[in-house]
Amino acid sequence: MTHSKGSGRNLGRQWLCAALLYAAAAAAAHSALSAAVVLPPLTQPASGEHHVGKVVWADLVTPDLDGAKRFYGGLFGWTFRDVPGERNYALALLNGEPVAGMFQKALPASQSQQPAWLTFLAVQDVDAVQQAALQDGGKVLSKAHYYAHRGRQAVLADPDGAVFAVLAAEGGDPPDYLAAPGEWIWSSLLVADPKQETAFYKSLFGYDVYDLASDGGSEGDAQHYILSSDDYARAGLNALPADSMRRHPHWLNFVRVTDAVDTAKKAVALGGRVLVEPRLDRHGGHLAVVADPSGAPFGVMEWSDTDTKQEPQ
Amino acid sequence: MKHMPRTWKAGAVGLLALTSLAACVVGGYDGGGGVGYVGGFYEPGGYEYGGWGPGYRVGPPRGGVRGSGGRARPSIPHGQRGGGGHGGRPH
Repeated sequence: MTHSKGSGRNLGRQWLCAALLYAAAAAAAHSALSAAVVLPPLTQPASGEHHVGKVVWADLVTPDLDGAKRFYGGLFGWTFRDVPGERNYALALLNGEPVAGMFQKALPASQSQQPAWLTFLAVQDVDAVQQAALQDGGKVLSKAHYYAHRGRQAVLADPDGAVFAVLAAEGGDPPDYLAAPGEWIWSSLLVADPKQETAFYKSLFGYDVYDLASDGGSEGDAQHYILSSDDYARAGLNALPADSMRRHPHWLNFVRVTDAVDTAKKAVALGGRVLVEPRLDRHGGHLAVVADPSGAPFGVMEWSDTDTKQEPQ
Repeated sequence: MKHMPRTWKAGAVGLLALTSLAACVVGGYDGGGGVGYVGGFYEPGGYEYGGWGPGYRVGPPRGGVRGSGGRARPSIPHGQRGGGGHGGRPH
């Protein structure tokens, strides 16, 4: 029995040691994994420029990363690079340049949620903007977090509930230039009360707000505002269509295409859906809204290089 | 033999505690445990796109268009990539 008691104690100690070693190894391995996750900087080499309020990045949150790669690769010619150390996050590239991020996450079955593109707006001080958002009726959905090389970012919701992210990019923001086909060219915020929302966004980003209805705009310009900074239009702010019962305020980003009609057809062929049929918009080109196979909506928009200085009536 | 269960219990509690600690360390990026990637947000369902009538427009204005107040409507950047940083201003 003495032998049995001693061996029991030894066995217990062995288990405890094994547990300690296991836990230490697991912690070390996971720490190493987290440390190895490196998001590339927004600009390489660093731009050193800051364009507060500019849409500088977009992340797709999807339950099917491989399916998203097939869809967006087929539609826009994007290629993909997995982020080292992180199997759930991939970079989308156009001509070798990062154009978007794609993050895979299981879709909760119990809640009414949907995949979406998350819009990132440039700021210089994430924590200050986070605080201002709270004071102005917004919410902090994900507190500020720093990612090496990328910068500090947080996810917020405006008073209407539209979700967006803010990013203080470590190397600066991308310079302003006309987006090439396959790149993001425009963003629109669809909300219940655009006028109230302009105050929120102006407070956070210092936007100049241009009221299209006030300058003799045509039908459809009511409750349509342009948010601008550095003299550039950064985003549009529209009222949600009033006849919709199922609606939720949200940001909608547009990729520049050369032919919105063809792109919409191609999206369907690749497993997507057309949400808004191609239509002529104020700038003289067509735009359409489509959803990828997992249901994430985004827009496609034509934009001619030539400056017509005229809008269609 | 009497002390064996106590030792085992201590080992089990230690294992549980340290495994939990390890799990906490994991949470940073991979979307697990409710921490996840900062950008890993699904949005509330219920987008509705059926109500876009013919007058509903969301695109940016063209540059150069002046409103009744004489103020130019802001437009998107016009310059080409690599064309001098800021590219061309809206016309």
